[in-house]
Amino acid sequence: MHAAVLGVGAVGARVVRQLLSSPEVEAVTVADRDPARAAAVRRSVGEPARVLAGDFGGSWADAADVVVLALDAGWHADLARDLVATGTSVVSTSSSLRDVEGLLALGPMAEELAVNVVVGAGMAPGMSCLLAAHAASRFDQVDEIHVARMGAGGPACAREHHRALHSDSPAWRDGEWTESRGGTGRELSWFPDPVGALDCYRAALPDPLLLHRAFPDVARLSARLAATRRDRFTATLPMLRRPHPEGRIGAIRVEVRGSRDGASEVTVYGAIDRPAVAAGTVGALSAVWLAQGRAFGPGAAGLAGSFAPAPFLVELARRGVKGAVFEGTPVS
Amino acid sequence: MVRHRAHTETGYAIVKSFRRAVLALGVTGFVAAVLRLRGSGGVPPQSGGWRELTGPELR
Repeated sequence: MHAAVLGVGAVGARVVRQLLSSPEVEAVTVADRDPARAAAVRRSVGEPARVLAGDFGGSWADAADVVVLALDAGWHADLARDLVATGTSVVSTSSSLRDVEGLLALGPMAEELAVNVVVGAGMAPGMSCLLAAHAASRFDQVDEIHVARMGAGGPACAREHHRALHSDSPAWRDGEWTESRGGTGRELSWFPDPVGALDCYRAALPDPLLLHRAFPDVARLSARLAATRRDRFTATLPMLRRPHPEGRIGAIRVEVRGSRDGASEVTVYGAIDRPAVAAGTVGALSAVWLAQGRAFGPGAAGLAGSFAPAPFLVELARRGVKGAVFEGTPVS
Repeated sequence: MVRHRAHTETGYAIVKSFRRAVLALGVTGFVAAVLRLRGSGGVPPQSGGWRELTGPELR
C-alpha cells in the first residue's frame, strides 16, 4: 500500500508516523506548502527511506492508493473532488463544518467511481462518531446522541475552534435542522478524568451532520464545545495571539439515549488524549482500512458510516488511543 | 379617652405582626431542622466514574 499525506502540521506528522508503524504501508508520500516542514518530518521518522517527498503543487498523489488530507480547513472539498475524479480514495481530518458539507456532497460522485471519502477522521468528529456508533449498537432504539469536546490539536485546529464559537451551530431536532448562535446554550459536561466538568456551548461543529447520515432515525443530535468566558468573549474578535504549536490534553464525551428491553437507558462514552495524536491515529487507521477494503462501501461518510466501530476502536486502543465508559455513581 | 384607645389598637397591631413574624421564623426553622436532620449526608461515592473500555465491551 502506498499512502500520500498532504499537510504535515501537528496532525499530519502524526498521520505519517502512524502510517509508517503499519506493516501494510510500503511508502508514504509527504507534501506540504512549506517544503522545509515536509523535509523535517521525513528526517524525524525512523525509516526515512519509506517516506517520499511530494511536490505540493504537482503530482504528489499520483502513486497513492489512499490520500490523507491533513492541511488547514477550507481546502479539503476541492482537493478531494480532484482526487476522487482520478479514482483515489480520500481521508479528510478536517473538523470544519464547511469542509464536511463539501466533502459529504461528493458522495454520489464517489459512489459512481467506486471510491471512498472518509469525512472528519479526527478525534471529534471521528472517534466521537465511532463511540456513538458503538454505543448505539447496544440499544434497541436510539433517541438522542449528544457530543461534547474540549481542546484543539495544532494551530489550524485552534483557529477552527475559535471560528466555531461565533458561527451558527447546527442541530437535528425532531425531524428538522435547527441553527442556533454559537457560544450559547451552556451545559455542564463531565469529561473523563483528569479533565472533569466543563461548561460546553453550541458551536459550528460537524458531528450532527455526520451522525445524521449514519443514524437518520435518531430524533435529536447535537454537539457542544468546551469554552471559557474569555473564549466566548473574544470569539467574535480576531485571535488576539498566535495559537500554540500544539494544544494540551483534549477530551470527548458522547451521550447516547434510547431504549433497551423496553426500558430507557443512557450510555456515556468518552476519551482523553492530545487531539492531534488521536486525530493522527484515526486518520492513519482510516487510510489503512480503506486500502484493505474494510470500508462499508463506496461513497462519502463519517467514521460511523464507513467502518465497523468495535474492531476500529480495538485497533485504536492497541495504538494507545483508548475509549472510556462512564459507569455513573450509585444512588443511595 | 379616644386618643388612648387609638394608641392601644396600634399596639395590638404591632404585637400581632411581631407574633406572626416569630411564628413564621419558628416554622421555617423547624422545617429546616427536620430536613437537615433527616438527610444523613450520605457516604461519598465509592464506585462508578470513568473506566477504560475493555475487550469484551468492544465486541
